[in-house]
Amino acid sequence: VLSAQEDSLRIDQYSVEELSDSLDGDFGLELEETVVVGYGTQKRGDLTSAVSSVKAEDIMKQPATTAMQSLQGKLSGVNVLNSDAPGATPTVIIRGMGTALNGMNPLYIVDGLVVSNINNINPNDIQSIDVLKDAASSAIYGVRGANGVVIVTTKRGRGKTRITYDAYAGVRNAMNMVDMAGTQEYVQYFNEAEAAAGGIEFLSTSQPYNTDWFDEVLNTGMFFNNSVAISGSSDNFGYYFGVDHFAEEGILDDNKFKRTTVRNNNDYKLFDNRLRISQNISATFTHEIPKPFGAIDLAYRQSPLMPVTFADGTWGVPNYNVETGVAGPIGQPMNSHGNPVANLYFNNEKINTTTLQGNLEATLDIVDGLSVTSRAGATKYWYNKRAFAPLLDQWLAADPTRTEAQYTGNKNSLTFNEIETFRWSWENFVTYTKSFGSHNLSAVVGVNAEEQSIGFFSNMTGYNVPVEEQYWSIHHATGETTIDQNNYTKKSLASYFGRLQYDFDKRYFITAIIRRDGSSTFYDNKDFWGTFPSISAAWNVTNEEFLKDNGVINFLKLRGGWGKLGNDNIPFIVNKINTSLESNSANYVFGPGQDLIFGAYLGSPVKDVSWEIVKEYGGGVDFEFLSGKLFGTADYYHKTTENAILKITPVYSSGFNEDFYDHAAEIVNKGYEFSLGWRDNTSSGLRYSVSGNINFNDNEIVSVLPAYEGMMGGSLGNGRLTKRLEAGQELGSWWMYEVEGIWQSDEEITNNPHIAGAQPGFLRYKDQNGDGVIDDRDKKFFGGYIPSYTYGVNLSLEYKGFDFSVTGYGVGGNKIYNGINNARIGGENVSMEMYNDRWTGAGTSNTNPGAYRDYEASNYYLEDGDYFRLSNVTLGYNFRDMFGAARNMRVYVTAQNLFMITKYSGFTPELTRNTGDQPYDGNPYGTTGVELSAYPTIRTFLAGVNFEF
Amino acid sequence: CSDDFLDVDPRENIEDVDSNLDPEFYVNSTYGSYTEWDFAFSWLGVTEMISDNADKGSSPSDAGGDKNLLDALTHTSTTGSIQAMWTRFYTTINRANYALGYIENYDEAYGLDAAYKNRLIGEAKFLRALSYFYLVRMFGDVPLLDINESASWGVRVTKSEIYAYIEADLQDAISKLPNKNEYPAEDLGRATKGAAQGLLAKVFLYEEKWQDAYDMAGTVMSTGGYGLEADYATVWRESTENGIESLFEIQARGEVVAHGVQQYSQTQGARGTSGWGWGFNTPSQNLLDAFNAEGDNIRRDATIIFRGETLWDGREVSVEVENPMYNEKAYTSFNSGDGDTDKNIRVIRYAEILLIRAEAATYVGGDAAGPLNQVRNRVNLAPIASPTVQNIWKERRLELAFEHDRWFDIVRTGQGQAAMAADGKTFVVGKHELFPIPNAQLIQTPNMTQNPGW
Repeated sequence: VLSAQEDSLRIDQYSVEELSDSLDGDFGLELEETVVVGYGTQKRGDLTSAVSSVKAEDIMKQPATTAMQSLQGKLSGVNVLNSDAPGATPTVIIRGMGTALNGMNPLYIVDGLVVSNINNINPNDIQSIDVLKDAASSAIYGVRGANGVVIVTTKRGRGKTRITYDAYAGVRNAMNMVDMAGTQEYVQYFNEAEAAAGGIEFLSTSQPYNTDWFDEVLNTGMFFNNSVAISGSSDNFGYYFGVDHFAEEGILDDNKFKRTTVRNNNDYKLFDNRLRISQNISATFTHEIPKPFGAIDLAYRQSPLMPVTFADGTWGVPNYNVETGVAGPIGQPMNSHGNPVANLYFNNEKINTTTLQGNLEATLDIVDGLSVTSRAGATKYWYNKRAFAPLLDQWLAADPTRTEAQYTGNKNSLTFNEIETFRWSWENFVTYTKSFGSHNLSAVVGVNAEEQSIGFFSNMTGYNVPVEEQYWSIHHATGETTIDQNNYTKKSLASYFGRLQYDFDKRYFITAIIRRDGSSTFYDNKDFWGTFPSISAAWNVTNEEFLKDNGVINFLKLRGGWGKLGNDNIPFIVNKINTSLESNSANYVFGPGQDLIFGAYLGSPVKDVSWEIVKEYGGGVDFEFLSGKLFGTADYYHKTTENAILKITPVYSSGFNEDFYDHAAEIVNKGYEFSLGWRDNTSSGLRYSVSGNINFNDNEIVSVLPAYEGMMGGSLGNGRLTKRLEAGQELGSWWMYEVEGIWQSDEEITNNPHIAGAQPGFLRYKDQNGDGVIDDRDKKFFGGYIPSYTYGVNLSLEYKGFDFSVTGYGVGGNKIYNGINNARIGGENVSMEMYNDRWTGAGTSNTNPGAYRDYEASNYYLEDGDYFRLSNVTLGYNFRDMFGAARNMRVYVTAQNLFMITKYSGFTPELTRNTGDQPYDGNPYGTTGVELSAYPTIRTFLAGVNFEF
Repeated sequence: CSDDFLDVDPRENIEDVDSNLDPEFYVNSTYGSYTEWDFAFSWLGVTEMISDNADKGSSPSDAGGDKNLLDALTHTSTTGSIQAMWTRFYTTINRANYALGYIENYDEAYGLDAAYKNRLIGEAKFLRALSYFYLVRMFGDVPLLDINESASWGVRVTKSEIYAYIEADLQDAISKLPNKNEYPAEDLGRATKGAAQGLLAKVFLYEEKWQDAYDMAGTVMSTGGYGLEADYATVWRESTENGIESLFEIQARGEVVAHGVQQYSQTQGARGTSGWGWGFNTPSQNLLDAFNAEGDNIRRDATIIFRGETLWDGREVSVEVENPMYNEKAYTSFNSGDGDTDKNIRVIRYAEILLIRAEAATYVGGDAAGPLNQVRNRVNLAPIASPTVQNIWKERRLELAFEHDRWFDIVRTGQGQAAMAADGKTFVVGKHELFPIPNAQLIQTPNMTQNPGW
């Protein structure tokens, strides 16, 4: 067995030519493929654990800013949730969610180096991605392996000099938009609500404006990508050099994202190839002009009666004249929401980041079969954000009657946020490989030291800088300035690891792994060292005598394993001490002079939090039948997170008033993964392959610590909660009232249990416990937001020079809460669906509420989150040796998200974004799964060209 | 050596011990918890308005959140004032618990003067006992809070265990706290040995440990150095704060930054034209009648502000104010309507110790008349030669009116049904003796049981 780097030299670099070649002839090739498993490689056919892989061509086929987006639907058990925002990071969940909060991402390894994400890697530079899905394989990464491991291998030079140029350009727009009510419907709905609420101030049916807010804030987005790579090798030297530039204009006005990456990977062979040195360097620069996604949410909520600007040029406000009922600058507000266009206009931010990453590795063969490798790498990251807020203009825009003379506050503010971090690692390991007759043995042992989060952040704000951008520095602020700077506490990790692989006659395989990790994060705890073992075995049935030369079964292997993993990526635990001059609560007075004496108290308990422990067992079968035409895998897994960390809202009797993190529950994820494919050539020259994969996952909270059981969460921001933690349910389960109709009359309300303030047209909630009162005890569980199955389908055809591929992705068995429809303050716009179906009087509807409705959390707003997206359709044509120096040229067109099939009535059930502009925090008892802020799914059309010289 | 590599100095947040906060800070915040808003509004509802001494007050249309329900004895497990007090008591206990742990850790790390350490422990335990006492009076069986053991948060332990815990805290506080006169001046207002003894005497009274109550009250009388103010009318005025009669008070000051029980005077100040407050918690006709029936003019006039009267500080109460009577014990001359009161809230005072002694004496055959008549003598009421326990109950009512004890006295002495009927309210025997465990708590901890009848 060769080291990872050496072996990757032998893997064919992607090229169009070879993509086509690989489909010729023998389909059994994949079994001979090399899979990177951490500190070494294995042949796919020899694996004893669950590892899924994608190659460069799969990534290249689906152009994206980060490679993980291209993986959606390709690998069973690897659930990728895409966010369509420019530059956004997709959420990746491997084999269900058992674990905590922001620490649920897999571990990313690039060319052996642990990195925090792979957003800085140009997908064109990637040779392969291998995903270690089970404990049997991930245990080599010990305390960081619990969420699976994604191993990225970048391209290297091989063979004669090759130059490739890849370019694509495309357009994007929003799909699955919600059809909103127009002016007439809005007026009708508003007046019905006003009348039912006993109000007397109605809107006129004759209105001067009819604004389509989505039209006003959304554009067609555009993006361009150019990528050049030069690679090649001589006997003792290999090189790869790649440059990429990506630029996107988002679907929101002026939203921009640019990224430039540069990569250089070199390989040196010395002393007759006994010493091999490889060096990887990459630099990534991004420039972003973000715009608040809250504008889309405002566009959903704002009244169509309000104009973008009034005739005199002042910004529109949602006012109407109480006497005439006509919208205009003066009067009282229809609702309390702002102007979506002004919201975008006044937002003035830019973000620049720089990432430098590199590693150096040397492998020396000592004697035959014995080699030692030393690898050192580091990542340096700079982040710089500048935000300018024209406070005076914003104040004036909120009310056209205001004048500058009335304003007393700061005219503007300028804020800089800077972050600088550094991380490094150094690892040394010895690899030994030996065969004795039919006995094949391979072992690796090593040590690793690593430090991360070395750095600081600083935030500076200055008020009243000159309006000219050239003077935007804190130095020129004439008002108050504030500064906050802090150093991060670095995190150190020390590890010892070993792996033993043995097989007898390529029939019986066994792998044992042990890793011992020590983490500085838990140094204050008693146990800051943990041991993470795994063991797995496989039986290659096809290598047995009785199956040799079998015409039907080409390959059949059974595998099984067990392992223990950790998750140390836990939230930073802060025990905040509250002490404040003004606080009534903390301070007291003593003495004859009654002097004010300060006090202090702790907001949350001090918890001895350590890593999460995950134990997993599972097994599977890999097979290829009919000369490799039929191929697939089947897997079962059972994964227990014994001490899952949750964010706990303390109960009243605890005396604490701030949320805290603690080991709170035991969670089991168990499920099946299947993938099945068929590939063949026809005599007419058609090459095709069809494949699909599906993962069924069952998530269950097995037990919860007593005082944490019963915790509620999923706030709608209006005091209503939607979730509850309870053993026997799945993580983040919905818990709310069950609707049993619509109140038709006052009499009906009086004679039945109802919530306070119920009126005809309100939703009627079921009195589950029959006590005649509607309260929290009548709420029930309605399942969760985590899909119970996810699936992908892939089709690829090649005929003559044409290639055609289709990828689809879907999920099912999940529920999404339509929070934007539910959480209303008053006077918001409604969807046409809500408008058309509404209750308008006794007997008109027993399923949909009237214009005047309550805002309790109920299953009326809980919808099936099943969806299927046709995520990629690509058609290409290859011109081989047709243009002078170009060995090949391929042109292609791609449609991403051509359509989405879903019954969900909001924007998208694929929620990676929750409240406002907050990124997905993953807290199952936060707003995850609640669509509170609209962000549409994006449809993309692009055309591209690949040249190879 | 790899262990050294993992020993990383924290930079982002200053560690507990490195913050080097004197343990006194944590004890101070335990006192501070008693100045929270809950004690100025919710507390009035669950101790006074609910009783026959007081009505909701304010305007008929202003429910004060849920004070109308408490006034009418129609409160439920979702009544917010009950939940507010439940949460407040636990917050206070939590702070005391944390302080006690911190004192030990700090002592270990830096060393503390033994007397100082003892005093801090005694203060924290006294404050914790006071909150547990309030809890157990209201709710009966309640969780015994271990802040590090979350399992303890959701399990009710029996009333007798809670009482035993309170007794132990107070016994320890008594052994550790200095006497009032042993404190330096700047610490005036901190819990004292006498305060702990006084509270323990009261706890014994609630436990009907008559001999213990009798003895403990006697200890305060003989060794505490306390006495009665000469003029009852001044007992609740700023002039007698921390005076001879005071065993324990919640401290307050009027100057900026003001600090006291937040809005205590404002919520109870006269309402309406020329008024200065919200006008809640008004004396009932039933209480006025009780004063008049006893001919107890001194205490009546010190307890009740009458519409149209001129107060001791010269303030004329307009005839335009909305209610005929207001609580004079909440009145402060200095910043009557301001957010924070400058008035110290009397928690235990010597007159109550005398009445505890007298009440216990009726059961153990001691001298009840002596202490009782000291109290009566001050307000020019005729001595009672051989007082019955009923005499003492009545004396408690008039002496301690609006001092947040009446409801618990009538429940404790089995007068609930009769007393409330006389006030026109229905006291349901077997239910109203205890408040309901807040519904929100039961939703959080579903295994916790509700009190009978709720």
